[in-house]
Amino acid sequence: MIEHGPQKTAIMLDVNGLTQYVEIEPRRTLLDTLRIDLGLTGAKLVCNMGNCGACTVLVDGVAVYSCLTLAIECEGKRITTIEGLSEEGSLHPLQQAFVQHDALQCGFCTPGQVLAAHALLERNPQPTEAEVVEGMSGNLCRCGAYRGIVEAVLTAAKEQAVTSKPGSGKTA
Amino acid sequence: MQPFIHIDIASAEEVIPLLDARTRPLAGGTDMLPLMKEGIVAPERLINLKRATNLRYIRVADDGLHIGALTTLDDLERHPDVRRDYTALAQASALAASPQLRNMATIGGNILQQVRCWYYRGDFHCWLKGGDLCHARDGRNEYHAIVEQSPCVAVYPSDPPAALIALDARLRIIGPQGERLVSVAEFLQPPTAQRRSLHGLGPNELIIEVHVPKSAAPAQRSIYLKAMDRATWAYALVSVAVTAEVAADVLRNVRIVVGAVANTPMRATTAEALIEGQSLTEELIREAGRAAVADAAPLEHNGYKLPLTRNLVGQALRDLRGSSS
Amino acid sequence: MPKVIKTTINVEGRVSEKFAIVEGVELPPWGENEELGIVGYPTPRIDGAARVSGEARYTYDVQLNGMVYARMVRAKAVSAMIGRVDVAKAKAVRGVLEIMTPENAPEIKMGSDQTHLLSSEVRFAGQPIAVVVALDPYVAADAAALIEVHYEERPFVADPEAALAEDAVKVQANKPNNLLNGKPRIKERGDIQAGFAEAEVVAEVRVTTPTALHNAFETHGCVAHWEGDQLTIYESTQHAFGVREFAAKKLELPLSKVRAVGTYMGGGFGAKFPGNAYTIIAATLAKRLRRPVHLMYDREGENLEAGNRGRTIQRVKLGAKRDGTLTAIEYNGISEGGAAMSWIPMLEGPASMMYRCPNFRSETTGVLTNLGPMAAFRAPGFVEGMVGLEAAMDELAAKVDMDPLELRRKNIPDTDQLDDKPFSSFPVAECYRRGAAAIGWERRNQRDQATAAQSNGRYRRGIGMSSQIWWGGGGPPAYAEMLLNSDGTATVMTGTQDLGTGTRTILAQVAAEELGLPLEHVNVTVGDTLQGPFGPGSGGSITTGSMTPAVRSAANDLRNNLCDIVAQMRDVPQEEIEIRGGVIYRRDEELASVKDVMGKLGDVMLTGTGSRGPNPDDVSVVTSGVQFAEVEVDTVTGQVKVLKIVAAHDSGRIMNPQTFNSQIYGGIIQGLGLALTEQRVVDTGRGAVLNPNLEFYKVPTVADVPEIENILIDIPDVKANSTGAKGAGEPGIIPTAAAIANAVANALGVRIADLPITPGRVLEALERESS
Repeated sequence: MIEHGPQKTAIMLDVNGLTQYVEIEPRRTLLDTLRIDLGLTGAKLVCNMGNCGACTVLVDGVAVYSCLTLAIECEGKRITTIEGLSEEGSLHPLQQAFVQHDALQCGFCTPGQVLAAHALLERNPQPTEAEVVEGMSGNLCRCGAYRGIVEAVLTAAKEQAVTSKPGSGKTA
Repeated sequence: MQPFIHIDIASAEEVIPLLDARTRPLAGGTDMLPLMKEGIVAPERLINLKRATNLRYIRVADDGLHIGALTTLDDLERHPDVRRDYTALAQASALAASPQLRNMATIGGNILQQVRCWYYRGDFHCWLKGGDLCHARDGRNEYHAIVEQSPCVAVYPSDPPAALIALDARLRIIGPQGERLVSVAEFLQPPTAQRRSLHGLGPNELIIEVHVPKSAAPAQRSIYLKAMDRATWAYALVSVAVTAEVAADVLRNVRIVVGAVANTPMRATTAEALIEGQSLTEELIREAGRAAVADAAPLEHNGYKLPLTRNLVGQALRDLRGSSS
Repeated sequence: MPKVIKTTINVEGRVSEKFAIVEGVELPPWGENEELGIVGYPTPRIDGAARVSGEARYTYDVQLNGMVYARMVRAKAVSAMIGRVDVAKAKAVRGVLEIMTPENAPEIKMGSDQTHLLSSEVRFAGQPIAVVVALDPYVAADAAALIEVHYEERPFVADPEAALAEDAVKVQANKPNNLLNGKPRIKERGDIQAGFAEAEVVAEVRVTTPTALHNAFETHGCVAHWEGDQLTIYESTQHAFGVREFAAKKLELPLSKVRAVGTYMGGGFGAKFPGNAYTIIAATLAKRLRRPVHLMYDREGENLEAGNRGRTIQRVKLGAKRDGTLTAIEYNGISEGGAAMSWIPMLEGPASMMYRCPNFRSETTGVLTNLGPMAAFRAPGFVEGMVGLEAAMDELAAKVDMDPLELRRKNIPDTDQLDDKPFSSFPVAECYRRGAAAIGWERRNQRDQATAAQSNGRYRRGIGMSSQIWWGGGGPPAYAEMLLNSDGTATVMTGTQDLGTGTRTILAQVAAEELGLPLEHVNVTVGDTLQGPFGPGSGGSITTGSMTPAVRSAANDLRNNLCDIVAQMRDVPQEEIEIRGGVIYRRDEELASVKDVMGKLGDVMLTGTGSRGPNPDDVSVVTSGVQFAEVEVDTVTGQVKVLKIVAAHDSGRIMNPQTFNSQIYGGIIQGLGLALTEQRVVDTGRGAVLNPNLEFYKVPTVADVPEIENILIDIPDVKANSTGAKGAGEPGIIPTAAAIANAVANALGVRIADLPITPGRVLEALERESS
């Protein structure tokens, strides 16, 4: 049995492959820890109640709402935020697909959308359009970039299939 | 959100001595944290159950399905045996909330979800919170009950429990006196003046497992339908779970459970009796639908739930009849 | 040589005469068949990478050294005078730095009715009454919960129809009644009585539209930061220069000491114009505390206070000849404004403009209630008014036994009926033709015969349509500057803003096109009053029509300067020099690359300045179009599923088809929400908004979105401005709800007159049908 709080307590988090230390109260959400304490402002605070998806991050590869996740419960887990998706300054293929298909307008929901899409494709690399719609239904977009989002995810899936199987890629 | 002490435990057994009115267990957090953020509950200590890994499992056994209380709705909707043999449960899980919430929310927590009534969740000291008045009765009640069970007219919000009742599921609950088994149907109760909650869980008890008995009949089928006012990610306007043994157009051992019409999911026993063993004609289907709402008395803004319940019960029966092969 | 001009500007129907200073020679417009190489081609947005990577810094994301967090405390009472505010317990919370209440707030008057920064008079639940500043947002929330407010409560009215009654409680005590300006706005042309006397057929409808909440994903708010006597305001705004002006005026600072920054913002939809108390509150607190103050609304505050599209109650009466020719339009609309309202949305706009009719009369009433105040919301008035007008047009079509599209074609206006001027361009017939072909409109009329046969099935399908009219030509003042750097890259600097509409990208396209550089050599800075000259507020769909000519003019100026330099350096006649793709030619002979020329010159910088020229006097500049909707109604669940929307809109020259599509899609999806799922729910007896959240205020999800086909009309409006482009932000939302409502009426055979068309309303309509 391990007891923390209610005062601040030091915890260690693995965020985007880097070890981070923060001193937080147990009540602090992962979202606020990422944004305020670690300066990783890609995940957005929009509803703070699990009703929109803009705070989506990956915890051990699973898409969760970081506004409903306590940071203290993420010790020992792998946290991936949008800042951890692009490698060495170049966009992840999913991010490129979002740009190519104009799958965004204001962009405030976009980091959450991209990470939800990432989790979806990890689990189902070749989704149908209906599966993409279902898989992306936990991320609202007030600007209405949904058509582009679905196209971007389908395109990224297709490209992933081509690149992951060299030589077997059929061109349309 | 009020500050609290956070406690990690390694197994469910450690929890019981710790629990009391001010010390609450935390599973998926998808309901507990919003309730805490709104200040509706303010526990001084939260016990994190998620490191008790022995509570997340789906076991298929001779006597049916054993589901650990920390099993997520996502686990349930994806499990091939659940999908095949306990279809309504998989459907109800898949129709709940959003993918991320289903990744987080556990079946134990889902059964205990508090009402989504906007007065309860808002700044109103309503009857269910210990006040004197149910504000929804004379206020805006489009999402509320059409069957009166208590002074509160909020409806029970969760999807999977209606399916669990139709499937005759039981809960294994541990407490200071040891373990007890209770059917989901008995566990979910309308609130009373003394117990302002929608279930019969004691303050120092914990749900550890859901057991869904295996049907003796190989032709047992089940279905869950849910009406929403958006394509997805909404609480049910009305939902219906039905289980039955299906042979051609005859349904036997029928159980019809209607969700989001009362404080608890409701068995539609008159409708069940009407169609039991009968050749399921369109006329009989309509009659069953009418029987399902015979006792209903809508409020000012939710009259639509009458036709919706009738229609949805009828549709579920039609779909089940069509599923015989 | 700068010139002072006077020109007419129309923003959302509010016409004003403005002075503007115009520099240089007005460029001849790009012609209809101008050969352009960058403008008009699908172009991924140049800030896309920043937005998909989390690198784009929104106001909410600003973090500064020593920054502290402010939280609004909001009234629980609906109408009250605030007595004592007890902050002792809140102040004692460790980490709390300051609490502002009506008692210690500076005496600065705000808004149209001159209330204080924090008023002690509460007119709606959710009104800010105190502000807590703390080291951490959690601490600020803890303290906010401990503030005790003593109210002297008063009666209130939270229903627009009840507020109209003579003996109704007054929302603003000093006004004679609850009507804005004391009376309805009346507009007339011709002779309405003669028009109805002439009519052979009359159709009348009553419709209502719900209060819609913007729910921009980034809430309202700002970060205020003082460095000495210089104030920087980071604000999620649709008008950076407006924020600067507002802050300077209220805080009595010289404009030169105030900087406003809004480089990225998470949606505005009309509600994020300057003039908000929080800007001044944050600046005041930051000065008191000598620390930057972060003051962002939470979702509930956003939905209670930051604006809404007010509920409407509309009656529309049409008179026509048997052949469908309109003879009279009478429009009556009530628009709920909440506790504060400074203008009435132009509900009567569609009825007065969309179809030719010599006899017109409208009464439009803005009514106050004790609820959160309205704000502009994407084509305010027109979205709502189109629902009423187009419902009436469909009813009329049925009465004269005419195809609804044919009826509309028959009544296409020849002029702008508001000012009798001819349109600069009005290709609505072309929109009808192409849209009708794409949706398969002829199926609608065949369906009428098939309805009986279909009526026993579970699903019923229907097709509906609605026209669109709106402004969007923009106008001066709007300025841009350009820099040509020593490596041959260019920077466009202007104080306009990119709300997510794609402004940066089209400005880069225009600059690259005019200057002859490859697109990737052009960067654009917007949304910072220290990094570019004045740009107008991004509302009324005016940004494209205002800014693209200004940037073109700056690029042209820069190009001329560059040619001048090259002419001197290479001793060639300037008029023979051309720049294409970053390379300088003398006719077809390659002279050098822009990069080489600039590199050779070393540490120099060429500049260009440009401005938007005046609007034409003799024509009216509008956008027009149509949308068709096909729906499927599930008679079991009552749910309406939109299967397809076809859109065909004239926005003049389409600068970037990709972001143009996104704008139209976005409008359609918000319009779909208004038609089917979105409504603010109010317990009028308690004056309470029950769904100031994203759980029960239901914005459409990805699964609600139909197939959308957006037809590019793409006819440059060469009389409008030098790029021939007009706005697309608002046109897309105007016809959607009207088209969906008409499609549902077509599917069901009865009209559901109240939006949103929820499953409950559909089921109730079906019950009435079967009984």
